[in-house]
Amino acid sequence: MIAGPTRDASVPEMPDGPIDPRAVRVAVAAPSRLEGDPAITVSPAPDPATRLPQDGDAGPDLPLVDGVATPVILERFGEVRARLVVSPAVGSTGPAVRTNLQLGPVRIHPAHGTRLREVVVEGWRINVEVEFERRAVLRERARRGAGTASRGGPVEVRAIIPGRVVAVSVTAGDSVEAGQQVLVVEAMKMQNELRAPREGSVERVGVAVGDTIDVGDLLVVIH
Amino acid sequence: MTPPFNRILVANRGEIALRIIRAAHELGMQAVAVYSDADATAAHVRAADAAVRLGPAAPAESYLRIDAVVAAALESRAEAIHPGYGFLSERAAFARAVGDAGLIFVGPPAAAIAALGDKLAARRAAHAAGVPHVPGTLEPAPIDRPDQLEAVLAAAEAVGFPLLVKAAAGGGGRGMRRVVAADELPAALIAGSREAAAAFGDGSVYLEREIMPARHIEVQLLGDATGQVIALGERDCSTQRRHQKLIEEAPAPGLTETERRRLHAMAVRLGSAAGLQNAATAEFLYDRDGNFWFLEVNTRLQVEHTVTELVAGLDIVAEQFHLAAGAPLSPRAIAAADRAARPMSHAIELRISAEDPARVFAPTPGRITRWVMPAGPGVRIDTAVEAGDRIPPEYDPLICKLVVHAADRTAALARLRRALDETEIGGIQTTLPFHRAMLAEPGFLDATGLSTSWVDAHWDGQASRARAVRVASLAAGLAELPEAAVDEPARIASAPLPGGLRRAAEPATRDGGVPAWRTAGRALATDRWPG
Repeated sequence: MIAGPTRDASVPEMPDGPIDPRAVRVAVAAPSRLEGDPAITVSPAPDPATRLPQDGDAGPDLPLVDGVATPVILERFGEVRARLVVSPAVGSTGPAVRTNLQLGPVRIHPAHGTRLREVVVEGWRINVEVEFERRAVLRERARRGAGTASRGGPVEVRAIIPGRVVAVSVTAGDSVEAGQQVLVVEAMKMQNELRAPREGSVERVGVAVGDTIDVGDLLVVIH
Repeated sequence: MTPPFNRILVANRGEIALRIIRAAHELGMQAVAVYSDADATAAHVRAADAAVRLGPAAPAESYLRIDAVVAAALESRAEAIHPGYGFLSERAAFARAVGDAGLIFVGPPAAAIAALGDKLAARRAAHAAGVPHVPGTLEPAPIDRPDQLEAVLAAAEAVGFPLLVKAAAGGGGRGMRRVVAADELPAALIAGSREAAAAFGDGSVYLEREIMPARHIEVQLLGDATGQVIALGERDCSTQRRHQKLIEEAPAPGLTETERRRLHAMAVRLGSAAGLQNAATAEFLYDRDGNFWFLEVNTRLQVEHTVTELVAGLDIVAEQFHLAAGAPLSPRAIAAADRAARPMSHAIELRISAEDPARVFAPTPGRITRWVMPAGPGVRIDTAVEAGDRIPPEYDPLICKLVVHAADRTAALARLRRALDETEIGGIQTTLPFHRAMLAEPGFLDATGLSTSWVDAHWDGQASRARAVRVASLAAGLAELPEAAVDEPARIASAPLPGGLRRAAEPATRDGGVPAWRTAGRALATDRWPG
């Protein structure tokens, strides 16, 4: 097994620093999930140009698993068959652990908009749910905030990922509930729903279907 | 050789219906299938020469309807009916109805089914034949006679605690209660009797000593109309969960030739005494002191007949058809029986079921999306499903029997391991992880841990699953990364070019070299392809 911290899917940490926009969170999807199944975060090796000097110790291009550089690669043999190869940690010896597996086709979760896929490992059929870490954190915040958000001044909904607007569900003047979908943004194959952070009326919609947006763009203002 | 019949009807579904149709075709007979609405396009229907609809999916409205099955046979002008296992296979009333319609029942006579199907009657038959049976009572407990309670308690003390309350008409553990002390007995008798009455229409219960730890060892019997009964060898079916077998093998590991002869002789004596014909199985418990205790007789083809077929070199279903047509035991069968105490090879069957081994083997009906079965030397697959099929919730969860045959048990275990590595099933959870784990279990590998209580006592599905969750999460995460850490040679391996593998340029690292961990996985990926 690979060393590295894991945590329960139901209690995500709130990272202090910025989240790598490429990082994905993987959790066992309901109804496949059992109590105690951990969620993990996987991100590509940090960009060498921005890597801090101490990161260099871990190796040139190891992906990060829960923030820890991990010597793991996925070999693909066509669409379905794959093999996970976990090498011994840097500085230790021993054989690499190879595990054959089958990846099912990706489906989009009808309610969460996350990416669902069946992975079969040594006969175990594990349904996993994958989404961008940033989106997972926001979704969690929205879920926690729902019901406790109080009415205040106007709230600006800004883009947290770059992408393309594929749906606009509200127009100026509409009243919205907390958690109601206002936009769908497609980014890196994933459909990301943006939801109203609290109830109110839509003051302004800053984008239209087909617009390309960047992080920080003002999308919707709710009054 | 002349076919035993021109046309037969198979009163079953799934893998066993297909297996019987195969035997029929190999013998030159036509096969008629029956089906419920859930099975209208099933493999056994497609394989048969004709098919007759029985009714809706519910077994009581289709495969359990004696009138409909007999009518289907008459309508399709079949001469004989093979019942398979389960459903109507051990109903004496069915065997009788088939005979009354002028058709031949491929199985023991109705009288033998009735006599041996009642466990108490079978115990009395064993007693009369001098075959040691599991200690206990031989008459139904008088549960409706409060004045007899003292006598029942005295009988229980004689049997010893812990003991089992069992249903005379029982099967699959229904009506069974475990009793550890005398004061629990009256309640257990009433509850067991009520459950048995609801399940079988017969509330008779009796007492039996709990023999534990014990192995489940059974003997395959064949008999002909002249009264000759032979034993084709024994099977060990100890790996069970709640009386449902999960792994079966032939021969039973570790028995001496003397023990085998003694066991086979007991089974033959019992079968002869009961007037057994065609095929049946006598089940025994084997305790740590080397004693065999008769348990019950199954008057039908067993799920696990395959392992005996492989070791005995015999098609048991074909033998059944010949015997049903009135032929004497074949020279081939008699020769196999003569060799049975000195088996020369080993076979193991895994029952792959639509059940979740991490959730107490709960059934997992659903659609199979991926179905890749193993092949190669010594591998036999008995199944009726393929990718795209739906496993209906109405029937048995067994979807595939993976059977291997090899020179000895060690070779058979190795063959099983590689066969499991080749097996891929997607869309539903199956018992595959359990079987893989058993092939790493020291007590199973050296056969010292074989026991009917092993799975319930030791199986930890969640621990086995936890590793798979880790691997699945890593794989799914890496597959979804915008800059996926996917190895280049593997991509090429998926689409080999003519003339061998052409390797892609290695992605250069900062210092110009390729790290060892990154290339470590390549040997296996590239070894598969020439060049």
